[in-house]
Amino acid sequence: MLKRLVLVRGAEIALFVVLGALPLAVHSPYALALLTLLAIYGVVLIGLDVTVGYLGQVNLAQAAMLGLGAYLAGIAVTRYGVGIPLAIVLSGGFCTLVGALLALPALRLEGPQFALATLSFTALCATALNELEWLTNGAQGLQIPRPLLLGHEVDARAFFWLCTAILALVWLAMRNLLSSQWGRAFEALRDSPIATDAMGVGTYRHKVAGFAFGSGLGGAAGALYAFDLRYLQPQTFDYGLTVTLLLGVVLGGRKSLWGAVVGAALVALLPNLLSSPPLFRAFSGIAFALALVSGVRGLVRRKTDAFRALAPIAVTLTLVIGSFLASNIEDWRRAIFALLLFSVVVGLPEGLMGFASAGLARLFRVAPPDLPPPAALEQVLPARAPDGSVLLELAGLSRHFGDVRAVDGVDLTVKAGTIHGLIGPNGSGKSTLVNVVSGLYTPSGGQLRLRGAALRGGKPVAAARAGIARTFQNLQLFGGMTALDNVMVALRGAWRVPLPLVLLGLGRLEELRGQAAALALLELVSLRGEARTRAADLTYGAQRFLEIARALARRPDLLILDEPAAGLAQPDVQRLLEIIRRIHQRGITTVLIEHHMDVVSELCEIVTVLDGGKVIAEGSPAEIKRDAKVITAYLGAAEPDAPAPGAAPAPSAPAETP
Amino acid sequence: MPLSVVVQITVSGALMGMVYALIAYGFQLTYATSKSLNFGQGELVMVSAFISLTLLNIGLPYVAMVPLGILFGALLGVLVERAAVRLALQQRSEGWILNTIIVGLFLVSFAENVWGRDDRPFPTPIPADPVHVLGVDVTWLEISVAVGVLAIMALIEVFKRRTLLGKAFAAVSADRDAAELMGISATRTVTLSYALSGAVAAFAGILVSPITTVEPTMAAALVLKAFSVAVEAGLESGFGVVLVGLILGALEGLASLYIGSGWRETPGLILLILALAVRPTGLFGKAIIRKV
Repeated sequence: MLKRLVLVRGAEIALFVVLGALPLAVHSPYALALLTLLAIYGVVLIGLDVTVGYLGQVNLAQAAMLGLGAYLAGIAVTRYGVGIPLAIVLSGGFCTLVGALLALPALRLEGPQFALATLSFTALCATALNELEWLTNGAQGLQIPRPLLLGHEVDARAFFWLCTAILALVWLAMRNLLSSQWGRAFEALRDSPIATDAMGVGTYRHKVAGFAFGSGLGGAAGALYAFDLRYLQPQTFDYGLTVTLLLGVVLGGRKSLWGAVVGAALVALLPNLLSSPPLFRAFSGIAFALALVSGVRGLVRRKTDAFRALAPIAVTLTLVIGSFLASNIEDWRRAIFALLLFSVVVGLPEGLMGFASAGLARLFRVAPPDLPPPAALEQVLPARAPDGSVLLELAGLSRHFGDVRAVDGVDLTVKAGTIHGLIGPNGSGKSTLVNVVSGLYTPSGGQLRLRGAALRGGKPVAAARAGIARTFQNLQLFGGMTALDNVMVALRGAWRVPLPLVLLGLGRLEELRGQAAALALLELVSLRGEARTRAADLTYGAQRFLEIARALARRPDLLILDEPAAGLAQPDVQRLLEIIRRIHQRGITTVLIEHHMDVVSELCEIVTVLDGGKVIAEGSPAEIKRDAKVITAYLGAAEPDAPAPGAAPAPSAPAETP
Repeated sequence: MPLSVVVQITVSGALMGMVYALIAYGFQLTYATSKSLNFGQGELVMVSAFISLTLLNIGLPYVAMVPLGILFGALLGVLVERAAVRLALQQRSEGWILNTIIVGLFLVSFAENVWGRDDRPFPTPIPADPVHVLGVDVTWLEISVAVGVLAIMALIEVFKRRTLLGKAFAAVSADRDAAELMGISATRTVTLSYALSGAVAAFAGILVSPITTVEPTMAAALVLKAFSVAVEAGLESGFGVVLVGLILGALEGLASLYIGSGWRETPGLILLILALAVRPTGLFGKAIIRKV
């Protein structure tokens, strides 16, 4: 614990102490200007990293946010005599708003479409800044005085300290945000947006909030930028800058505050590094040596493929040769930047800090903080007495895909406190039915009622909040997160501290309570010992159990287990039976979709059989086994022209997903 | 504003829109096979235009330059695929977005240093004299753009439908894994699509350069509008781009007429954001059902 405090926090404090002390040693105004730019870019890149790193989307709008923030601050100061603090708040707030408005349409998209939407936004802003001459002074540029701060003149050094202090504050706030439920939600939605919705966390809401927050930081940094340069031109904030910022994040290392600051330093300082030929020769020589060593090592150990090893070597060799041949290195600046980036992206996909932190973690082995003792299960999952009332009611529910009637008028009643089996041959519509009930599909017709209240369907978050939790036939865990975080992110009603207080670091208590509750649920599925294991590294059986624990974190009224025994080895099937029984004892209603008839007959009081999207039988497991229609559906009819038993007739509905 | 001027500007704009359509078509080619597209496509247009110009300057006749220029574009396309796209596709990541941006960044700087930053005229044997068609003045150059765009698109569509290689292209577009199981190399087909896309970009450069002149940032605005066209038409639809390109080009002409020439880009950009918001798969694209 102490070691962690000293190493991790110590390094952060050292960074800011050194940064703050630099102007005392360096007196050149030029160097001071560069340092100020570094601090401003640091804020911009931390904001950009929210979308690029945590949401995993290529965001090309950050330069526009910087520009909007800068111009807003400039206009507020020149026209309305606003002071520095208010200007920063105004710019930050305005860009948060603009970011939210842009995110509402754009974040429904993924990948290239999102990148294109943000790219268009940047181009649009550049045009607007250029053309709205009455407001921005157009291409002539806008002169801005640096106003007094609390009645004092702000000289270059004081302004640098102001920027550094803001960078430190942003760093702290971001760290608090990322170690809260927000950070977990960001991680989760990148790993599995579907599960994030199904767990009631809300993919879209968090994406929009994350993008807006990052944009707000861009805007606030824009205000600093305006007071730093005191002269703004629209063409500064164009595609070139947005790409540079993006590359700064990637170069420094995504999903890392250190990475953002290192990236900022590189973006701010690199142009100057390139102005002196000997410096650049040395720099490219080092880069080449690094690429050569790591590339050859990777090849010899067969860890990297040929392209990833050789491309950086070839590219950095080009740089070395170029550094001796070219007379005007300054002119080649962007090409050099591109080549460097290319070798980093190919050779070190995690960025410089990702690479460095992996090495440092091996060197120091800082243990994660201790976990609290698990909470009492009664607190986390209060037992409820089954009252025999109707919990879930489907009336004529159907879902068609074109002409395919995957679910075709299903009537089904699930009583509270029961384990209700749902079986049927492949393609009988079980998965589609479950997807409709859990809100992933909009029903084509019919009614869906939970405790008598109608559910409209088609909204997984709404279904989750109404009290339905589910597991997935094809696992949808948050693979990059620990088992503990997988459960914590789904905890219902545990996260009440509002965002501003979270940013101030006041979410710690809630965090500890969440950990205790999640540990209790992990204990229920016998995974407490694996709390700190990454979900992707768990055994297959453990992953299935973790999904159950995660669904239980919703404290659901209705738990849907979608083929939980699929692919499990026999000992794990026994553990599964035990877990489902424990859940039953807590009084939670369970719908169990299963192929293993033995599991169904052992657990379920009542079983519904689907075939061709329709209910063909319902009753106790023993009754079902004797039902002629069920036998026909599974084994085929015993008619002369029918296919032989075993080769069951192909069902008409291809709803079974692989 | 006399109606004839409005009509004139609409028609000229629409004809320029054909170039956007052609570049957008290049995006569709690679998107079909690999769900990726080259964010540095504009730089391919620009570098190919410079190379073609150099070929003309060393004394090659125009008719010999065109196939050579297109071939060079195809080679550049292959280079982009190999250097920036293939690894990311293997890792099933979206790293190609960033990588192709980086390649584009390099090419701009390369062109600035090799050919300089000045505007250069692009000589062409096609006369720039206007012809009077139905009360509108159209230049032969503009007509050559429209004809060239339709011709190369038709050629590639015939290739895709009539040849074995083209059918492999269609198979990989429809289902990459199934095509691989049938013995078609998806990797090579993706490379082929990038080669075609590069060829299309080069041809677009040759067609448009006599009108716009050649300089390192000539394609930045072009490609932005091509993105709009591709997204609005849908990244999977073939000839929809032509229609959307025509409309967008016309809208641009009208925007610069009525709002001011600085605003000519805006209709495309606003339409792009709106199109994405309302119909992310584009006007002619198919809706996607997500599977669990």
